[in-house]
Amino acid sequence: MSRKLSGLGAWVLQRATAIYIGLFGVALLGVMLVSPPTDYAQWRNWFADPLVGIATLVFIVSILLHAWVGIRDVLIDYIKPLWLRVSLLALLALGLLTWGLWASQSLILVRLV
Amino acid sequence: MKFAVSRFNPDTDSKPHMQTFEVAVERGMMLRDALLEIQRQDESFAFRHSCGEGVCGSDGMNVNGTNRLACITAVSDLKEPVEVRPFPGRPIIRDLVVDMSQFYQQYKAVEPWLVREDPMPEQEILQSPADRDKLDGLYECILCGCCSTACPSFWWNPDKFHGPQALLTAWRFLADSRDQATEHRLNELEGPYKLFRCHTIMNCVEVCPKGLNPTQAIGHIKHLMLRQGV
Amino acid sequence: MGLAKRRFDALIIGAGGAGLNAAIQLAGREARVAVVSKVFPTRSHTVAAQGGVNAALANVLPDNWHWHMFDTVKGSDYLGDQDAIEYMCREAIPTVYELEHNGVPFSRLDNGKIYQRAFGGQSQNFGGAQAARTCAAADRTGHAILHTLYQQNLRARTHFFDEYFAIDLIRDDDGAILGALVLEIETGEPLLIEAKATVLATGGCGQAFRTTSNAHINTGDGMAMALRAGVPLMDMEFYQFHPTGIAGKGMLITEGVRGEGGYLVNKDGERFMERYAPNAKDLASRDVVSRAIVTEVKEGRGCGPNGEHVLLKLDHLGEEIINKRLPGIRETGKIFAGVDAVREPLPVFPTAHYAMGGIPTDRFGRVLAPIGTGEEVVPGLYAAGECACVSVHGANRLGGNSLLDILVFGRAAGLDLMQHMESNHRPMSEAAVDKAMSRLERWDRKGDGISVRELRDEFRKCMEDHAGVFRTEEIMDEGVARLKALRDQLDDVRLQDHSRVFNTARIEALELENIMACGMAIAVSALHRRESRGAHSRPDYPSRDDANWMKHSLYLLDGDRAEYKPVQTRPLSVETFPPKERVY
Repeated sequence: MSRKLSGLGAWVLQRATAIYIGLFGVALLGVMLVSPPTDYAQWRNWFADPLVGIATLVFIVSILLHAWVGIRDVLIDYIKPLWLRVSLLALLALGLLTWGLWASQSLILVRLV
Repeated sequence: MKFAVSRFNPDTDSKPHMQTFEVAVERGMMLRDALLEIQRQDESFAFRHSCGEGVCGSDGMNVNGTNRLACITAVSDLKEPVEVRPFPGRPIIRDLVVDMSQFYQQYKAVEPWLVREDPMPEQEILQSPADRDKLDGLYECILCGCCSTACPSFWWNPDKFHGPQALLTAWRFLADSRDQATEHRLNELEGPYKLFRCHTIMNCVEVCPKGLNPTQAIGHIKHLMLRQGV
Repeated sequence: MGLAKRRFDALIIGAGGAGLNAAIQLAGREARVAVVSKVFPTRSHTVAAQGGVNAALANVLPDNWHWHMFDTVKGSDYLGDQDAIEYMCREAIPTVYELEHNGVPFSRLDNGKIYQRAFGGQSQNFGGAQAARTCAAADRTGHAILHTLYQQNLRARTHFFDEYFAIDLIRDDDGAILGALVLEIETGEPLLIEAKATVLATGGCGQAFRTTSNAHINTGDGMAMALRAGVPLMDMEFYQFHPTGIAGKGMLITEGVRGEGGYLVNKDGERFMERYAPNAKDLASRDVVSRAIVTEVKEGRGCGPNGEHVLLKLDHLGEEIINKRLPGIRETGKIFAGVDAVREPLPVFPTAHYAMGGIPTDRFGRVLAPIGTGEEVVPGLYAAGECACVSVHGANRLGGNSLLDILVFGRAAGLDLMQHMESNHRPMSEAAVDKAMSRLERWDRKGDGISVRELRDEFRKCMEDHAGVFRTEEIMDEGVARLKALRDQLDDVRLQDHSRVFNTARIEALELENIMACGMAIAVSALHRRESRGAHSRPDYPSRDDANWMKHSLYLLDGDRAEYKPVQTRPLSVETFPPKERVY
């Protein structure tokens, strides 16, 4: 894609991630309804499945990107002083990154331990 | 019938205030007629108007909280007291008259003219009725400004977001089978502001006195961008 | 603080179709052009033209410009100048193609060509079968054209003075026009614009009548400015009443409705136009149809509780055709008459619509003023559009010829004034500027007096009562006397609001003077013309009198004088169409 990530790219990304988040949510709900894991061991086993792991990882990344684009849009609309907007964006990036790392870490831990 | 109209005279007032007038309502009276009646009572009351039939787009204003054209708004459809204010978010010049220059700037920014690279034929450029139909719902815009001044995204970024009117016009030319500047037009609309500040709030659709749908036009532009981009 | 001044090569007053098409000719030619408009350009009244623009493209039925010329000459009741008419009808074809190339979204035929509809007074083969000559963009042709012209002017970076009101022309002692004094409405400050050539393109003066299809802004500003500059107005007695305005309101219902197959009925449900015009019926020329409607109502065959209108029936066309070809009409009917045209007929009555007369020009748009026994071009002054009288419409204009007139002669004026661009600005004397300034300052007078609205309402009512569709000596005599009395009262009018910023009352006061000048021109010219021709109908002189009256009338402000000049009956390249009885 030749166009920058700021306009069309961001717009497409937000929609694509929304679709994925929605699908993942439905799948998760399905699993919970059909054969919900009853104890910690089952939970662990389920997450240890590589397919589930990858899907969850993509889910985490989707949430990150979706939140980034969405909150960035709100900040662009409402926060006019550039310094404040940049600071808030930096804070947002930091927060999202932290959460993302934490979430991915638990996925890795599930496989290791 | 009671009409509360917003008054502001820059020579004497620091901020706008409401003033109430009593107008005898006649059958079939439009809001413009009522405002003209108010002008008979007080000639210093200023508002723009001209054709009186909803084609020139001069008398857009905020009526009971909604942007409308005074000349095609029947007084009988309005809840009393009728509150008439200038368009929201625009600098007020006097009473109901606002400075629309930013709105016109955005219109000009989408290069609202047909661009043809091929040499012109001796007769008309042919266009099928189906292709011409694509311009319906687009070319009828009268530049009244009801949509853009009702758009929160335009209130927040009037200097950077084109607003529904200009984007409708952008699509009017993108949708014209005779226009040959698609690539250029799409490139110009790229970026986080000009087009993508639209959050499909759809105030524009709700207020358009001509029944046009800028949100849909904006959607078409995005999809065309996507198709061209892939 | 001294008066602010700007200098341009050309000044165009008015941003309707004529002004914008003149401006566009100068684009990209190293000329500095200023377009002054009292409203944002797309609010100009060209926007309200509905039906279309005539050109013999022959896209639907066989056609050629010579037939178009014949129809126009006949429509004018032989008062139109045949050289100008030939020029217009020939130029119509490239003009419409140029519009299309510039982007006008014309409706289309299946083969991709421009859609053309039938309009009143159009024939094939010099008076034969109905022709289809009117190029249309649904029923919003004026809107489509005006917006396109504005857009192309934006592209050409034309310099616009939006919301500037022209107060008066500046004239030197030799009679040359040096520019104009204008008023920035937003700030209330005057501005002097100097120009080597000035084009008046200010449109019509329908506001002189109470019930009119014209906008609030159509106050004859250019016509009145010309009068004050010593230029006469020509053929002003020929004022067109459009047959189908919404009854009691005046909003226009396009002739295109009848072109698409709609027709008029009286209270008995009779298609009465069959009696008045057995061949053309509802598509007879506008003056004929207007008189028929007024006669029906007068003779007690009107519809409605008071029998004050007739009905325009179009529901038989079907929803699909109405939505496709006449969507604006359906909207207008719903809003102003409370009638859905798809189901019910529309109540209509003639409405003041169009001035056939105006500032006399030649076919290059140059303004002419009488000098001795002949006439001469006024140096530096052009006029085009409804405010001008070339004359192509003579005593009655055909539908679809007004958009054509503004485009063709707006363009002609733009092209001709190029020749002035090499010359220098003439010196401007202070006295000339002071004269224009005094017109503005007059409204600074304080105290009690008549209000602008009061006098304007009375004047317009008087015009409607005494200069309407049918005019007798008695009615006209009384009318002129009353109008003169009202004009004398102008001096007693005082503004209560003397503020500067966006003072609409002050603008309306300046406009009132213009309305009155045009109204007087109409009434005085009408009183003098003792014959019936085209739109000028005198029951006391019911027939056309070619021996005495086949001549243009000229109204001069000075002493309300009337003069006359001959009709140009010789075309440019073809044979003259000699006067014949006009039947439809």
